[in-house]
Amino acid sequence: MSVLSAHQVSVTIDGNPIVADVDLEVSAGEVVVLVGPNGAGKSTLLSVLSGDVDPSSGHVELAGKHLGHRHARELARLRGVQLQKQGLAFGFRVHEVVRMGRSPWHRTEAAERDDVAVEDSMVRADVTELADRLFPTLSGGEQARTSFARLLAQETPVLMLDEPTAALDIRHQEQLLGVVRDVAAAGAAVVVVLHDLSLAAAYADRVCVLANGRVRADGPPAEVLTGELLTEVYGHPVDVIHHDGALLVVPVRPRPVTTLTDTSEEESSCSAV
Amino acid sequence: MPAALRPPALGVLAALLALLLGACGISAGGGHGSDDAEGSTSAAPPLADVEPIADVRSWEGEKIAVPRDELDPVAENPAQDLPATVTDSQGTRVKITDASRVLALDVYGTLSRTVHELGLGDTLIGRDVSTQFAGTEDLPLVTQNGHDLNAEAILGLDPTLIITDTSLGPWDVVLQMRDAGIPVVVVDSHRGLDNVVSLTNEVAAALGVPAEGKKLAERIQAEVDAIVEQIAAVAPADQGQRLRTVFLYVRGQSGVYYMFGEGSGADSLIDAIGAYDVAEEIGWNGMKPLTDEGLIAAQPDLVLMMSKGLDSAGGVDGLLERLPALAETPAGQHRRFVAMEDSEILGFGPATASVLDALAVAVYAPDAIK
Amino acid sequence: MSATTVPVTPVRATLRGVVARVGLLGGLTVALAVILVLSAGTGQLDIPRDEVLGSLLHKIGLDLGPVPSHPQGENTLWQVRFPRVVMAAIAGAALATAGALMQGVFGNPLAEPGVVGVSSGAAVAAAAVIVFGWTFAGSWTVALCAFLGGLLTTTLVYLMSRDGGRTEVVTLVLTGIALNAMTSAGLAFMMFLGDTQAREEIVFWQLGSLNGSRWEYVGVVAPLALVGIVAAMLLAPKLDLLALGDRAARHVGVDVERLRIGTIVVVAVLTAAAVSFCGIIAFVGLVVPHLIRLIAGPGHRLLVPASALGGAVLLVAADLWARTAVEYADLPIGMLTSLIGGPFFFWLLRRARRTAGGWA
Repeated sequence: MSVLSAHQVSVTIDGNPIVADVDLEVSAGEVVVLVGPNGAGKSTLLSVLSGDVDPSSGHVELAGKHLGHRHARELARLRGVQLQKQGLAFGFRVHEVVRMGRSPWHRTEAAERDDVAVEDSMVRADVTELADRLFPTLSGGEQARTSFARLLAQETPVLMLDEPTAALDIRHQEQLLGVVRDVAAAGAAVVVVLHDLSLAAAYADRVCVLANGRVRADGPPAEVLTGELLTEVYGHPVDVIHHDGALLVVPVRPRPVTTLTDTSEEESSCSAV
Repeated sequence: MPAALRPPALGVLAALLALLLGACGISAGGGHGSDDAEGSTSAAPPLADVEPIADVRSWEGEKIAVPRDELDPVAENPAQDLPATVTDSQGTRVKITDASRVLALDVYGTLSRTVHELGLGDTLIGRDVSTQFAGTEDLPLVTQNGHDLNAEAILGLDPTLIITDTSLGPWDVVLQMRDAGIPVVVVDSHRGLDNVVSLTNEVAAALGVPAEGKKLAERIQAEVDAIVEQIAAVAPADQGQRLRTVFLYVRGQSGVYYMFGEGSGADSLIDAIGAYDVAEEIGWNGMKPLTDEGLIAAQPDLVLMMSKGLDSAGGVDGLLERLPALAETPAGQHRRFVAMEDSEILGFGPATASVLDALAVAVYAPDAIK
Repeated sequence: MSATTVPVTPVRATLRGVVARVGLLGGLTVALAVILVLSAGTGQLDIPRDEVLGSLLHKIGLDLGPVPSHPQGENTLWQVRFPRVVMAAIAGAALATAGALMQGVFGNPLAEPGVVGVSSGAAVAAAAVIVFGWTFAGSWTVALCAFLGGLLTTTLVYLMSRDGGRTEVVTLVLTGIALNAMTSAGLAFMMFLGDTQAREEIVFWQLGSLNGSRWEYVGVVAPLALVGIVAAMLLAPKLDLLALGDRAARHVGVDVERLRIGTIVVVAVLTAAAVSFCGIIAFVGLVVPHLIRLIAGPGHRLLVPASALGGAVLLVAADLWARTAVEYADLPIGMLTSLIGGPFFFWLLRRARRTAGGWA
């Protein structure tokens, strides 16, 4: 049973169809990853799903109810969002920012869990050491992780993340998506927009490929992420390699011209790799 | 406190002088026999004693007119009929039980002078910045910047009666005085020939000396009538022959100057000295900035001014330089400026007759002023 | 990461938070008490401090201490000095709180109440009353019209910057600037229409003055300020969330539009109340919250009450200086706050740039 569903959602801005007739369903325990080229409408679709943007036609249902029929606080208890850019107008400290995620639970029983939730989230996002730092002084990656901690602290059944790994190093990318999988395993429904197709392949239960605002494919990574489809969608030759049970998506590049007899060229081409 | 509302009477216009005098800071030396500004240092002789010049229009040169300071109380410490209840000019009923410690405050110093002339000068315990006649030098000052009342300074003097008009502010301070239980009588703030008598009577009523007030008022009226008659004998009878006169307010280097028109007191003054009121001709009300072309079109033969203003503009030379439009007028070409101390020229009150006298001499017999 | 890591940080942070809160508010309260006493005991009428204290005690029924010996001492204290000191404290608190709210709702430490047009609207309305000599409410006319003018322009700015049910911060600021330009023109026109006295009254009103404060006026400003400050404290926690940005704030459950409207209304009420009776006193709403933020961080739960206290201290001190610095003179207080606030603000600007998070 889907917790979050989009029905024939279209978004048209100034006559341009950014998103067109998108149907999408996300169930509890599932990690759905949205991928697609630039301008495919991924972020726009996510903002419709989160309720930030009203679709020009179609609707979104969350936990059985039309999205537009819920007010802000109710929504905040059901779905949490991590945006691509982290802004903060004033110099709050990391632990204060994470605690902001608890605000929908203010004055409810769940508020008693605040301290535990905050601490726990900071551990999972690996920002405990940064707790007293001023948010604006952090690096891009550290800020992203802090926002992730805030999302976790919100403890919602639905999570939406827009390019959460963009600024993160390999270790933190894996860590974050690992936590995402854990959260889904615990029963949440998760939608993630990712640029990196290999990451998508590794962590998604389902991959939804968007192209020109439409759903081009929707299904398990192995089915959807094929060389033919990706080459067509991205307009660039792409190879999908199976390695050690993992799916690697690799763009096809022209091979460097070398001869075996030329050692120096070989060395230099090696170092280039 | 933002100044509260003044009665929307002509008094409002006259109250303008509060700001103007305040902005300049009143001269310390008083206008009687002092040696400020250019030209004369002594009081003008009486009009009756001098020979008017043949052609008023041909005279060239500016004159500072200094009125003769003739303080002459009508009584000496007269008995005051107290307690008295008066209805002041705003319709407030005020009960006065004790008038032994009096503050008479207005922007021109008219009220304190009136108190003195009524014979009760000894009851004054403080002064406004325009009050500089003999005997008031040691009185403490209760106005800041020349036109703002300082509540604590007033209360510090422990007055039992305050006579004031709306020319000084902020109004809230006046209300605070009433809150403190001090009777405050608010008299008319308009200054002109038409209300010299009534103003005198208002002040006298507040002090409980109506008889002396009547006496003083009648004396002032008689003096004024006499001098007006003398002036009429000297001034051209035909309206068309009279000197076209404007009253200009100039301050400093700004190049902005105001003409004083109907209701400002200047109209009264100009009529009384037998001159032609240009402001009346063009329907100019109150005090407003005048454009250069307006001044040229007015073609005044004579300009009346406050002497502080003339000084601040750099004297007549400075003035003509700053306002070239003036040079296009007969007044400018003949340097026909007559100036008098700021607080006296539009103060009226008990000194009215001597002010008119000195002005008339400066206009019609300028050679008599050294 | 081990789940057995002892959560020292949040507890320590909370404890430090409590200490900071108590320390700062306590310190400011003490400072306010001190400056109130100092201010009440100083003025151009020389009344010894013990007599001032005696007068206060006698008024509350305790017959202790000497009463003022000067015959008008009692009156001076109760009709002139005390209402003025109290007005300074209340106006200062109102202005500083309004400033803190403005900065929170705009997410920008440079925001001050004037941006939404409340001061300029109040100024034009007051100028109109002065120039046209309206008296329909007696001596309350200027204040009443200033108040309404301020609210009107704030509403206009807000409505004009709405688009599709939402207001962008930048649009709000730009609309405010445009309206300020228009009201400046209106003000200039008023000053042209008026005579010189009106002109000087307007200028003096624009410079701000606490001269002539009476208990009646305190009686109007005090409840407005109280209501405003209480409302501000209720809005405070949500204002923290606005720092995340409009979208993110909505995601954590904040009704951004309602919060924005509510805050702007409170700002307008607080500012208009102070401005109507005291003229325009600048920089209090800008400098005080900024100072508090430097000391105590940006959390509004502490910032709002601390700003209120800090604003009161500042204005009482400034007014003390304004009314005693030059004998017989009463310096316009707005001039003083600007003279000191201006350079101070530049200094704050440089220091705070790094930690403020940048102003996009």
